[in-house]
Amino acid sequence: MMGPDVGWYVTVSAFLFAVGALGVLIRRNPLIVLLSLEIMLNAANLSLIGFARHLGDTAGQVFALAVMAVAASEVVVGLGLVVALNRSRVPLDVDRLSTLRG
Amino acid sequence: MIATAWICLLSPLGAAALITLAGTRISRRAAGYLATLSVLVSFVAALITFFRLIGETAEERSHASTLWTWLSARGLDFGLSILVDPLSVFMMLVVSGVGFLIVAYSIGFMDGDDEERRYFAYMALFVFSMLLLVQSADLVILLAGWGLVGLCSYLLIGYHQERPEAIAAAKKAFIMNAVGDATMALALFLLIQRLGTLEYGGVFERIDDVGGWAMTLIALGLLGGAVAKSAQIPLHTWLPDAMEGPTPVSALIHAATMVTAGVYMLVRLNPIFEQAPGVQDLAAGLGTLTLLVAGLVALVQTDIKRVIAYSTMSQIGYMFLGAGLTSYGNSMFHLMTHAFFKALLFLAAGIVIHSLVGEQDLRRMGGLARLLPRTYTAMIVGALALAAIPPFAGFFSKDPLLAAALDAGAYGRLLWVGGLIGTFLTGLYTFRMIFIAFGGEPSPFVREHLHRPGHTIPALWMAWPVGALAVLSVIGGWIQFAGLWDPISDFLEPVAVSGVEPSGLEDAATSVLAVGLSLVGIATAWWIYSARRREVPRWEPAQRALEHKLYFDELYDAVLYRPAAWLAAAATRFVEGPLIAGSIRGLTDGTRLLANRVTEAQTGLLRTYVLALGSGAAILTLVFLVVRA
Repeated sequence: MMGPDVGWYVTVSAFLFAVGALGVLIRRNPLIVLLSLEIMLNAANLSLIGFARHLGDTAGQVFALAVMAVAASEVVVGLGLVVALNRSRVPLDVDRLSTLRG
Repeated sequence: MIATAWICLLSPLGAAALITLAGTRISRRAAGYLATLSVLVSFVAALITFFRLIGETAEERSHASTLWTWLSARGLDFGLSILVDPLSVFMMLVVSGVGFLIVAYSIGFMDGDDEERRYFAYMALFVFSMLLLVQSADLVILLAGWGLVGLCSYLLIGYHQERPEAIAAAKKAFIMNAVGDATMALALFLLIQRLGTLEYGGVFERIDDVGGWAMTLIALGLLGGAVAKSAQIPLHTWLPDAMEGPTPVSALIHAATMVTAGVYMLVRLNPIFEQAPGVQDLAAGLGTLTLLVAGLVALVQTDIKRVIAYSTMSQIGYMFLGAGLTSYGNSMFHLMTHAFFKALLFLAAGIVIHSLVGEQDLRRMGGLARLLPRTYTAMIVGALALAAIPPFAGFFSKDPLLAAALDAGAYGRLLWVGGLIGTFLTGLYTFRMIFIAFGGEPSPFVREHLHRPGHTIPALWMAWPVGALAVLSVIGGWIQFAGLWDPISDFLEPVAVSGVEPSGLEDAATSVLAVGLSLVGIATAWWIYSARRREVPRWEPAQRALEHKLYFDELYDAVLYRPAAWLAAAATRFVEGPLIAGSIRGLTDGTRLLANRVTEAQTGLLRTYVLALGSGAAILTLVFLVVRA
């Protein structure tokens, strides 16, 4: 089998996941938060493909396709929310959207 | 006979219930007729019972009957039981007879009052309660009747609910009687513990098994109840205040019947008291002390009803003196004659008060003799009976009572002297009242406000009972002449054996002295208060002391009320506030504080929630990995 070992795939996936997580926690613009969420999903996809290649089982690739479909639906909903927020002149800042506080 | 005894007892209760349930569907006067009729039925039933009873031989004259058993526990049976025997029948006759006359009088006296129905319901309830008390077959029903008459007394003293003095007087009467009820209940507890029964028969048979301090405590507890109910010193301060009630109430409850319950108890429970002779001597001593103190205080009273109230206290003192020295027949005889002439005095005073549109102050009265001649006659008859002048009723009952004291040792002789002094005082204060109210020229108040009772129906209802009682005050004494003819003492013999027998000489000497002193008292009253209206001899400190009723009220206020009020205020401030209310408040405050802290976790910021989720998941994963390794 050619190409890098599965270890490299997992490392890159972990790195991407961390970047995505950090983005969700730190960035203030909801659009960027959604983007970071997408990065996390893609990191998971990469990990799935890597292991599918390593174990010779195509189930991983099929699951990755399913994840992509879910990600797409979720983005539709998320972007719709952001657009609605923008149209209502609500400031696009997650730190300021805290009226549900206790 | 048992059936008629039950009818006698339950008839007034039925009337009370009917009047209460009928409410405004019957007219006010109909309520009066109903109550009066029920007490008449009671009296007739008592008469029938009496005649059936004397048809039996003396040994057989004791029948108990239980309607139902209410509580049955390990040998102790409590139920609604009545006893038909000479003493109870005697009291039934007095209570229902005099009660009937007074309730009939009330039809006239209370005519026009807004709440007549309530009055008559209470009066009927009272007659029932008093009958329950005297017909009881065991100490529990006695105590039940005791409490019920106290309740009716409270309800009737406070009848004029809009008057704060009446309410205060009702409370005072009830609370003082509650003290007596408490001591009685404690005595009953001791009796149950020692003897296991409270029926008269059972208790009397085995009472000599109880000895020593328990016996004394039982007797003292029972005496406490008697002293409270009969308004003897030291539990007497409620009776003058009780005059706030309507006049017929004063006549029935606070003269003829309820206050005599203490004397009834001393006679009925004589086997118990005879086991504690010290307590009997105490009873006689308290009676003598009361008769002197009451006689003195009556000398300065300005309210006509209060003079008669103190007179009641004084006469019951005589009855306690007699019963305490075991002269039971004479005490009961005096109870009967006293019921007649005291009720007469109160009812006649009621006519006077009605004629003067509610005025009771003696100082504003005067010269009523010519204006209210028949009422004046009635009052004179009552006063002469009270002062024990022959041939009126009081003479035949009071003098043998005093004479019996001579047969009771040195202590008895001392009390005899007290009783004689009391006779002088009785004549003095009674005729002081008569001469001030009725003698001389009509006072300005009388001239302006007198409103003579005509021949209206209410006036007639007031007049005939007074007439009947006047007749009874004259002839009522002729039923017993000490030493020669003793039907009453003989009748009561199976229940209460007198321990003292005065000799004929002692009797005669006492009578002469007593009548003499009484006449001296009357003459003194005439000399000071009648036509010449001489300056009343006064000694300032004594006058003030008597006007304050020897400061008993002030004493009880200082010793009993103030500490209790202080304790209550301190408890509110230091216990109720910080501890009880404070602990509840602390609980709520603490919970609110905790809740506020917890809600701080809801920041509303997205990142906080995501961080929490993420770190939670991470920690869980680590834990699982470590555990599995």
